[in-house]
Amino acid sequence: MIEGRGITKTFGKDVKALRGVDFVIPRGGAVSFIGESGCGKTTLGRILAGLESFDGGQLLRDGEPIKGNAFRRIQLIHQDPYSALNPTLTIESTLRDPLRLRAKQTGRPESWIDSRMEELLNLVGLNPGYVLERYPHQLSGGMRQRVVVARALTVDPEVLVADEAVSMIDVSLRLGILGLLKSLRETLGVSVLFITHDVATARYVGADGELYVIYRGKVVERGPVETVLADPVHPYTQCLLSAIPVLHGLEKPGPDRLVPNEPLDERTEPPGCLFAPRCPFANPVCVEQPPPLGKLGDTPQDHACLFPASRHVVAVPLR
Amino acid sequence: MSIVEIARTTAPGVTIENLTIAYGGLPAVSGVSLELKPGTITGLVGESGSGKSTLALSLLGAVSKPGRVISGQVVIDGIGDVTKLEPEALRRARGAKIGYVFQAAQNSLNPLKTVGKQLLDLGKAHNVRNLREAHPLLERMGLNADRVLRSYQHELSGGMRQRVGIMFALVLNAHVMVLDEPTTALDMITQANILQIVRDIQRDRSLTTLIVTHDVGVVAEVAQRIAVMYGGRIVEQGDTHRVLAEPRHPYTRALINAIPRLTGDVDEAKPLPGTPPTLATIPKVGCVFRERCPLRMEICDSVEPPAVGGVACHAVNKGDAS
Amino acid sequence: MSNNVRRRFWRGVWAALKRRPSRIAGLVIVLLFTFMAIAGSWFYPDRLPYDVDNIYAPISWKHPLSTDFEGVDVLALVITGTRGVLLVAAAAGLVTMFVGTAAGLYAGYRRGAPDSVLMRIADFVLTVPGFPLLIVLTTAIDVGTWWKMALVLGLIGWGGLARAVRSQTLSLRERGFIEAARGLGLPTRHIVVKQLLPNIAPYIATNLLLAVTAYIYAQVGLYFLGVLPLDTSNWGVMLNAAVFQSGALISPDALPYLLAPLGAILLLTLGVVLIVDALEEIFNPRLRER
Repeated sequence: MIEGRGITKTFGKDVKALRGVDFVIPRGGAVSFIGESGCGKTTLGRILAGLESFDGGQLLRDGEPIKGNAFRRIQLIHQDPYSALNPTLTIESTLRDPLRLRAKQTGRPESWIDSRMEELLNLVGLNPGYVLERYPHQLSGGMRQRVVVARALTVDPEVLVADEAVSMIDVSLRLGILGLLKSLRETLGVSVLFITHDVATARYVGADGELYVIYRGKVVERGPVETVLADPVHPYTQCLLSAIPVLHGLEKPGPDRLVPNEPLDERTEPPGCLFAPRCPFANPVCVEQPPPLGKLGDTPQDHACLFPASRHVVAVPLR
Repeated sequence: MSIVEIARTTAPGVTIENLTIAYGGLPAVSGVSLELKPGTITGLVGESGSGKSTLALSLLGAVSKPGRVISGQVVIDGIGDVTKLEPEALRRARGAKIGYVFQAAQNSLNPLKTVGKQLLDLGKAHNVRNLREAHPLLERMGLNADRVLRSYQHELSGGMRQRVGIMFALVLNAHVMVLDEPTTALDMITQANILQIVRDIQRDRSLTTLIVTHDVGVVAEVAQRIAVMYGGRIVEQGDTHRVLAEPRHPYTRALINAIPRLTGDVDEAKPLPGTPPTLATIPKVGCVFRERCPLRMEICDSVEPPAVGGVACHAVNKGDAS
Repeated sequence: MSNNVRRRFWRGVWAALKRRPSRIAGLVIVLLFTFMAIAGSWFYPDRLPYDVDNIYAPISWKHPLSTDFEGVDVLALVITGTRGVLLVAAAAGLVTMFVGTAAGLYAGYRRGAPDSVLMRIADFVLTVPGFPLLIVLTTAIDVGTWWKMALVLGLIGWGGLARAVRSQTLSLRERGFIEAARGLGLPTRHIVVKQLLPNIAPYIATNLLLAVTAYIYAQVGLYFLGVLPLDTSNWGVMLNAAVFQSGALISPDALPYLLAPLGAILLLTLGVVLIVDALEEIFNPRLRER
């Protein structure tokens, strides 16, 4: 179980990317972070994978702080499968190097490396005979991303952090990758942290998991995916979900769907709720008082709003 | 109203007929016929390698070498056949008659000049002194015009840059607007705002608009008509809501089925087997989709299906597909 | 790398070269000069035959480039004079390549204090005027042996390569595959050598080839000015003799003698430039296979 307590991160002098975030990733579970660009979800994923430092709080694995080599148990799957692979190396080279390291660590013979390479490629749905001798530019985006997953698996990770892992892949191929992540949870017991602004893909990978809605470095709503989608109580979540395009003809808009509103000007920092300047339901109180994360109003999920109200904003199927 | 004023206030229609564009012998767009009715928004949906960007560029007459128009025509009311225009006439048409909005990520904005300066450059290129439309356009889109005109590209957010791109496309009073992946680099809320702007501006200024995208949701939200491209051909086109409710071409069906949804059974969404073709791997005979098609028949290997009632599929035309 | 991949690499190199005939021409020229440098003197006796009655002979099959002020065949002089400059230039190029690459990689990857220090030094090396410094150095230090000369030359010219390698390293280290390598726990040495270096290879190779030509010029210049001892036979010495000792500038018969070494230098430079064109394709698998 991976846990983050009060993670804060400031870039430079005053860019507050994360303002004290708590999260839990259970073993074999799925957790999704959604939010606008710049909300801090990518930073959080990178901190978890050990690629970024953090300024405050704790990162724990089964109660112990994560340090140094332990970060290897958490692997990041990048958004861009092309830049995630070295263009001058064949897929075989790309996989062999981490496997060689692994073999040394676990005391396995060289012969194990070849069979493990094939095993991993089969696991991610690729044909080793075809893929191993090729260079990244000779593979499609979907195949490249699968190679990236295979590479991440070479170190037997516990958590895969997928940051917009399918946004640069063709639509007809996305489900393949998402399905792969889902099946890895089942077969290997790997946990998946899914970071995205495409909520539906998060649901596909982790419908049985938790959804965290992040706004300006703070968690504003958190709970079971299905609950948060069907009954969001924080106005920001409702705005976010309202913005998802409706497939008119197949669906109709949710009954309480809100009109979108985007921050176009400089961001101010009110002492109270950070979302208040944009919130369609803001009260004078909201600007003054910072709302705590909790279950105010007896809601099933956690939220950070002083006046939570459930609104059904997600598109409804027509049939 | 004089003829000139009528022409200025009504949206032009665009007719693409049997267009084929090839890059060194390999067709990126093949025998495409598409009509953009005046005053409508049409959504062109396709994945990578479908030819949609090439098709969009052809409206501007801007297919870059080694691409060439092999056959067919692109007729825009009030301009003529874009594929046969003289270079000078084409240059004048771009911007003044046809506005093209590039992908935000591509940054067609010059990073070293302010927006205002680039606007002046545009005006000079078209011999227009006073670009009166810039201010009202920016304000209409919710921006502080003065501030934006003074800014450099890196000082603007993705959503702001996209709006500036739209302003540049329309500032010379073009009535045809082409948007290439307008919301790809943007998050959901910004995307929703931009789409609302597209709808509003479309109405206010009597535009005929083509949106090129890979995102079916974007088309569903703004376009009256949808055209689905695969391997350089249009495999299905029609009224957006109808096509989404009852897709007939196997690719359209599969594509819609591959969209994960927010409600209902998670596993209902199914992936498509195989990969989309690249320019080099598009089959030269027969149906381009057959390798991945569940309704594949013998005839699909040798004969390219003609478009009948908006759908190009042998199985559908035979009435086999229910 | 498996044998198959190795074979494909060389086939790709050949394909890249074949793509433009100018590149093959460049390769031929460079190979020709290399051969001349290595084996040129084997075809001639140690002391070239001279004939005082035949100075500045008219161009003929026996003396295609005329003769010098002692009646020695100029073509023979050019061929045997190749090794003198090419050997040192090549060695100096290697010195520059190793020092510059190592400095640039380390500075770019580690950043922070080592970066500042190394780049201060590189800037110093870059800005100090090379040729005047060379003149001063060669008079102060004994550069009698070829490897001492190569060392001096090489250490004067590594600043530019270090800067170029550093900026490449800086931009590459942020790329996904480098981050992934770090995240997988691969050691720094591996990341730098196996992951970064192949991506920077085209710049290094280009720089190496161009540096070699620069060092040829430098040497010829030094010999020409008489700063370096005129006891060996090479193109620079030829030029010096032609201009200062035999009045070649005044006598039109002596023109081939004067132009031959210049022509040799220019031809070799041309050859190098033509090959450099192919380097990016050779090192980039995507361009290679097209």
